[in-house]
Amino acid sequence: MTRLFDLLLYAFTWLCGLILVGAFGTLVVFLLINGLLALDFELIFGSTAIGDALFLKRVVIDGLLPAIVGTCLLIIIALGTALPLGLGAGIYLAEYAGKISKSFFSLIFDLLAGVPSIVIGLFGFSLTLYLHKHFTSIMPCLLISGLALGLLVLPYLIRSTQTALEELPTTLRLTAAALGADQAATLRFVLLPQAVSGIFSGIILAIGRAAEDTAVIMLTGVVATAGIPRSLFSNYEALPFYIYYTASQFRNQQELQRGFGAALILLILCALLFTLAGLVRKKVSKRLMAK
Amino acid sequence: MKRSVRVGRPLVLAATAVGSLLTLAIFAFMMMLGRPLFSDHSLNLLLTQAWAPDRGLYGIFPFICGTLSLVGLSLLIAFPLSLGNAILIHLLAPRRLARFLHQTIKLMTGVPTVVYGFVGIFFLVPLIREWFFRGSGMCILSASLLLAMLISPTMILVFLESFAAIPTAHIRALEALGGTRRQKLVHVILPGAKTGIITGLLLALGRALGDTMIALMVAGNATAAPESVLDSVRTLTAHIALVMAADFDSMEFKTIFACGIILYLWTALLTLSLRYIHYNSTKLSHDQTF
Amino acid sequence: MFRIALKIESGLRYVGWLVLLICFAFFNSPVRAAATDVFAGQVGSLRISGGTAHIPVMKEVAKLIMEAHPDIRISVAGGGSGLGIKQVGEGLVDIGNSGRKPTDNEMQKYGLVLHRWALDGVAVIVHRDNRVQVLTRSRLQDIYSGRLRNWRDLGGVDKEITVFTRDQGSGTRKVFWKKALRKEVTTNKALVVASNGAMKSGVAHNPYAIGYVSIGFLDKSLAAVALDGVMPSLETVQNGEYPVVRGLYSNTKGEVQGLTKSFIDFLFSPSGRKIISDKGLIPAAR
Repeated sequence: MTRLFDLLLYAFTWLCGLILVGAFGTLVVFLLINGLLALDFELIFGSTAIGDALFLKRVVIDGLLPAIVGTCLLIIIALGTALPLGLGAGIYLAEYAGKISKSFFSLIFDLLAGVPSIVIGLFGFSLTLYLHKHFTSIMPCLLISGLALGLLVLPYLIRSTQTALEELPTTLRLTAAALGADQAATLRFVLLPQAVSGIFSGIILAIGRAAEDTAVIMLTGVVATAGIPRSLFSNYEALPFYIYYTASQFRNQQELQRGFGAALILLILCALLFTLAGLVRKKVSKRLMAK
Repeated sequence: MKRSVRVGRPLVLAATAVGSLLTLAIFAFMMMLGRPLFSDHSLNLLLTQAWAPDRGLYGIFPFICGTLSLVGLSLLIAFPLSLGNAILIHLLAPRRLARFLHQTIKLMTGVPTVVYGFVGIFFLVPLIREWFFRGSGMCILSASLLLAMLISPTMILVFLESFAAIPTAHIRALEALGGTRRQKLVHVILPGAKTGIITGLLLALGRALGDTMIALMVAGNATAAPESVLDSVRTLTAHIALVMAADFDSMEFKTIFACGIILYLWTALLTLSLRYIHYNSTKLSHDQTF
Repeated sequence: MFRIALKIESGLRYVGWLVLLICFAFFNSPVRAAATDVFAGQVGSLRISGGTAHIPVMKEVAKLIMEAHPDIRISVAGGGSGLGIKQVGEGLVDIGNSGRKPTDNEMQKYGLVLHRWALDGVAVIVHRDNRVQVLTRSRLQDIYSGRLRNWRDLGGVDKEITVFTRDQGSGTRKVFWKKALRKEVTTNKALVVASNGAMKSGVAHNPYAIGYVSIGFLDKSLAAVALDGVMPSLETVQNGEYPVVRGLYSNTKGEVQGLTKSFIDFLFSPSGRKIISDKGLIPAAR
């Protein structure tokens, strides 16, 4: 009886492992087979000369450059707005909040973390429509998308900041207090420097999330053809949207190839970011263990 | 020094307040824009009717069914798969293999959902189409398989964390009594990780409910309520993405706010239940300790 | 000393690369034809959205203009005719495309000016391996209403028919529904896609699918269906034999000016007309 159970358990778990790794392996191999050949300078710069493209002398039309630049700009705007808020709220929750306000605000931020990205996109879009009625110059654009993405990644930043601070050993606080530092000085000169790598891993995760999300930008101003955006108020292209668009709208084998290339680039980018975040986290926990 | 205290606290409090206000504003905005839908008569119709704008019917009932069947099937696939993987890594696999599996699964959490959708269209959909007699391949089954891949890594990592959190004393005690692996699993690990397992399940449920791209790209977006797993469906999230393109004054457009509100409320409910579970379990462990 | 020399050497290498790069860039800038000269000296951005049958032409024109005049930015988005009309009306874009004529109500409400620059047909399409490539309109109605569900009944393989349709805001859908389906209601089991492009690739990759696209999207990757014995083509659309025809419109709010005017004018210029016919449509006179 026990033997049979053990056997079944073995068979079942190994099968599960095989299925999951197999499925993931298939995905990667499928992308590699179809996308690897597409990875070259032409994929990114199209038929435009590299120099012209980089110095913005000419527009890249049939390459990924505008989409890559668009995604980078989105990340910068999203992080630029969400980071101060996230750090602030994280510090407040970890250091200043009383018991009740802490549980209240962390509940709110848990809610935010759960909101589907398309709902955040819908919020961004309807806010734009609302503002457009009063200020006609406001339209769906790079800035709006960046801000909406900022809202999407905000909970990640808050939580990583909060956890990084709370994980620090109590002895650190006690020592600082014993040396006569007040709360603010302890925070500024002792705790934050120690928590930096923990916060950093949260930032990397947030970058990955902002880079891969499609639903938010789809509703707030991304388009199929726009070139490299000239201002915060223009339409733009982005990698994940390019992949989505190509999947249904490719007109020939070449465009499909570019789609595979784009999917491969995004996969590699996100995998690198997540691995990096994991490594940083590991370093942090090792250091904390050592203490 | 004194100055930084005075500036620091209000500043971080302000950041917290802004973040919270934005969270609530999302809900407020959707309620405001979806307001015309909420007279009791039309709310009822909205939630129960079919979607047939040609005949003046704007019900989102088929999309609620679509979402639930898609999410349900994906959990049905992903839960045993995740539990199996977690047990394999924690208990059964040789150490190096377990590490390899663990690393791979961590890596999988980073796969963008649009990439799943992309591979789904070009790899999975044609397979499903040819394997079964009927259907186009763009169906609940294809989308659920991909969704299961999307949510499994999260679930496995939560399961593993909760397995690891089981007090070693309990396991040592069992080992001292000469317990088998099976006993260890059935009597110590699974009961001990109950909260963790439910947490993982709920988190995965939230992730599946909120995903747009897989359903939009692979599930086919038909407006009928599904009758089989080979039927094509539209989820609430995909409906928002598709009807966004309708004109802003139309009845169709207003329904997407109803979808948004439903999604917000569902995920809020999940968050609250997670809270409740954790509150209970920490209280319980406190009671035991003292 | 030696290290400094090394540094200089590697620095020189960079300069060399840079020079090479600049030369490369220089020789690659072609002298553009005079076709887009009216855009010389213009600066700014132009937003276009709406009808998806328009996209190939819009993209090509935008590419031509942006390549010759990097100070101009033209963004092209889809979304469907309904969205195009609405967005241009609300001032969210400069040009809103539609594959149907805006209704009187829409024109009045927003003060739209229509520019019909091409004649187009909506063709019924199937996978290129499908044996069924001739249909009557009443057969088509049977398929789209869901009364007829298997290709076997039409002399094809024994497989369920996958019906593709478009979302409610689509102009192509509206024209197809009125002129090909004669207002028959489409089954709600139909798969819904968001653009002509998506319809085309969806049908081209599914051996059991049927759908409909602008004739500009027809090519060897799929098979057009002869409807009531008439094959959809440039000739049959032009001479009125093919029943499902429509105009492609670019709509603006009020009279056009500046960059928008130059863009619309370009569509009616000889080079614009050439692009339109290259993309498989019939250029229309102003």
